[in-house]
Amino acid sequence: MKTFKRLTYPYILWIAAMIVIPMLLIVLYAFTKQGNDVATLQFTLENFIRFFTDVDFLSTLWISLKIAFLTTILCILIGYPIAYLIAKSKPKQRNLYILLITLPMWINMLVRTYAWIGILSDNGLINYVLQLLGFEPQKLLYTDFAVVLGMVYNFIPFMILQIESSLAKLDNSLLDAANDLGADRFHRFMRVTLPLSLPGVISGITLVFLPAVSSFVIPKLMGGGGYMLIGNVIENQFITVGEWNFGSAISMIMACIIMISMYITRKLDKSDDAMARK
Amino acid sequence: MNHRKLLRRFLLGTILLFFYFPILYMLIFSFNDSRSLTSFDGFSLRWYEKMLHDPNMLEAIYYTLVTAVVATVVSTAVGTITAIGLSKSRRIVREVVSQINNLPIMNPEIVTAVGFMLFYVSLRIEKGFLTMLLAHIAFCIPYVILSVMPKLRSLDDNLAEAAMDLGATPWQAMTKVIVPQILPGIISGALIAFTMSFDDFTISYFVTGNGVKNISTLVWTMSKRINPSINALSTIIVLMITITLLLVNLLPIIKEKTKTKTTRISKHATGIVALCFVLFITGGLYWLKSGTKAQMSSEDAIARFGSDTLKIYNVGEYIDPEINTAFETQYGVKIIYDTFDSNELMYTKLQGGERYDILVPSDYMIERLLKEEFLQPLNHDQIPNLINLAEPLNTLSYDPDHTYSVPYFWGTVGIVYNKNNVDIEDLEKEGYNIFKNQKYKGHIYMYDSERDSFMMALKALGYSMNTDDENQLREAYEWLKEAVSTMDPEIVTDEVIDAMANGNKDMALVYSGDATYILSENEDMGYFMPKEGTNLWSDAMVIPKNAPNPKLANEYINFILEYENSMKNTEFVGYASTNDEVLEECSGTEGIYADNDAYLPRTGYEKDEIFHYNEKSRKMISELWTKVKIAK
Repeated sequence: MKTFKRLTYPYILWIAAMIVIPMLLIVLYAFTKQGNDVATLQFTLENFIRFFTDVDFLSTLWISLKIAFLTTILCILIGYPIAYLIAKSKPKQRNLYILLITLPMWINMLVRTYAWIGILSDNGLINYVLQLLGFEPQKLLYTDFAVVLGMVYNFIPFMILQIESSLAKLDNSLLDAANDLGADRFHRFMRVTLPLSLPGVISGITLVFLPAVSSFVIPKLMGGGGYMLIGNVIENQFITVGEWNFGSAISMIMACIIMISMYITRKLDKSDDAMARK
Repeated sequence: MNHRKLLRRFLLGTILLFFYFPILYMLIFSFNDSRSLTSFDGFSLRWYEKMLHDPNMLEAIYYTLVTAVVATVVSTAVGTITAIGLSKSRRIVREVVSQINNLPIMNPEIVTAVGFMLFYVSLRIEKGFLTMLLAHIAFCIPYVILSVMPKLRSLDDNLAEAAMDLGATPWQAMTKVIVPQILPGIISGALIAFTMSFDDFTISYFVTGNGVKNISTLVWTMSKRINPSINALSTIIVLMITITLLLVNLLPIIKEKTKTKTTRISKHATGIVALCFVLFITGGLYWLKSGTKAQMSSEDAIARFGSDTLKIYNVGEYIDPEINTAFETQYGVKIIYDTFDSNELMYTKLQGGERYDILVPSDYMIERLLKEEFLQPLNHDQIPNLINLAEPLNTLSYDPDHTYSVPYFWGTVGIVYNKNNVDIEDLEKEGYNIFKNQKYKGHIYMYDSERDSFMMALKALGYSMNTDDENQLREAYEWLKEAVSTMDPEIVTDEVIDAMANGNKDMALVYSGDATYILSENEDMGYFMPKEGTNLWSDAMVIPKNAPNPKLANEYINFILEYENSMKNTEFVGYASTNDEVLEECSGTEGIYADNDAYLPRTGYEKDEIFHYNEKSRKMISELWTKVKIAK
């Protein structure tokens, strides 16, 4: 089997170069001073101190987490019933629905988000309709609402597909058994369907929360130039301000937060599993 | 029962409407006759025509497809081979490799992107197509491995061994035994890789350069101003994807219906058809792309200038593209045209070691580039058109005798206001302080530019905009913070131009050239330059020290200064020409900007200043502005 083992070696070299070194570089930049040269590295904690002692940066982080959380909750609340309905459809319809939900994901995220601008803008379609109906025009674009809408729009397919696939795997005989044991609709759902679909919900959460918390495209397009989430702060530091060290430090902080939250979600999932088995 | 069915239909229908409505909306408006994204003014194909004539768009589609195809093929091959290798490796190797492999998937995209960028910069690899392709391959492989691994796990370990015992070579064992068993995993891995690459924005945004753009990064640069060509482009993408997916999904059904017995071929056939389709489009685009380029021989250019390419780095939407085409045909060269959003962005790229022949930075940035010895002197023998420059431009403090720079456009910064809703007396009395007048709360835009916002605040407080006095800067910060928190402004970048032209709000701080456009689009709008003074700015063409082709660059600078090209440019962009004759003609009674208050820059006013480079105030302003924005 040695021959096959050797197949891995090129890739090990590749990930060392293309994954490990870039990550190490971020760490290196995060812990050093600006204007560094390999010859004159100056280690410092300044970048982290600057972030954690500044109320404004911290509140941006807090808002980013809040928006991502809200997006995730909305995706579950809307996505679950939809996934449930799809999973309960006849196989042919089910495939069609899945295709229809996957299709937009093939279209560029920027393009899809850009499409909302015409609909939401101050004299856009929605406001036009509102005025026709005799309502006051509302400010929709460049608000928190628009940002959350853009995120839900972009990320909800992940949630639906994950939940749907875990619901589709559900063994119907379990429901029959529950029925035989006298459980009504509500209890069948709460005691059988919901717990068994939780793994899908959990992986859906990771797939939604992760991009939502770090996105800088959607906040900029839907929230306007002044809308800052933590992803925008990073982009700003790298592209406009040119302070790569500080930017690297924020990137590291964000990566850590995400790793921790994923770890917690996984743990929750596992303990749920254990519960279910008991 | 019927009730429930209805409800189900309704819910599923609603969510599908939610998914498809924006796409449909975009599709419809791609055929709109006017620029508007909100009112349909008749059917027309003008945006498609515009798109087909825009080499940038065709190039972006081309790069996107080539990257996606190559990245998919390479990552599928490497990913599959690695996965097979891993399944036979020791547990510890497998664990470690999979953990590292998961990093790009678990990490936020922006972190991965930043990592690539730092990696390329520290190796001094010039950003461009290759860097983008490598990055795409790198983030696609993990997905392929992830989708192949489970299939391998369910595979009997002894199969390959059995095959080899029966005399198969390892290669045969792999291709004839293992691969066919895990084919579904490989195919879905390839599909994921293709989608990831095709749609990627974040990573490409950080790792491309030198004029190489994919669709996403192009849309990003264009999306700040309403540009219906984006809708046309999107419609074509939607069409391409729908056709490909329909082919992939429908062909098996068709095959089944015609009852061909060669089911094994049909499986491959769908893939092959899809691939052919993609290749066909790529080929077509390549042909179109090469067709739009100049046909003049490049050999003359190489003989005269040593190279037939000119790399330009200019502000976005800051040139009539026809000028570049004309230059290309006349000189038999190819122009690589890259754009930036801000001087700081340009500086960052330059610092990253990127090489350009021509840059078009602003005054203060030129001062900085000169101080840090980034620039080379111009060859005045090649630029006889220097005499065409307008008089006020011959005394610019950062480079008075044009040793290093030749002005490209110039102007002021002022307030665009809606004459019906803003009292001109308020403006005259309060100047910039009108941005704190509660009467106009909720009706103002602020410009997302640290320098211009601080200019406004400092001027409003009666200070010089070039101050580096910490207390004065703090005061300006407080001024801005108060304006931002009490006036409910919208902080915008270039989208302010279309927004003001549409009359969305009543007041905004705007560059004179953009104001010229706004005023010519909407006659309710006026332009006001406060008495407290403003920023008299100029953007100029310079040649960096490491320019690959300075000779041709000098030639290009001369070309821009020609009467005809200056005229074309100022008509197209709306900014004040640096060519004296053009300036006079455009602002004269017969000129196209005759009644436009914003076009001609105010000169000789003592309170107007030119920005100077100052490292201390730059840092402070940039930090304080981020805080102002966050405070909102």
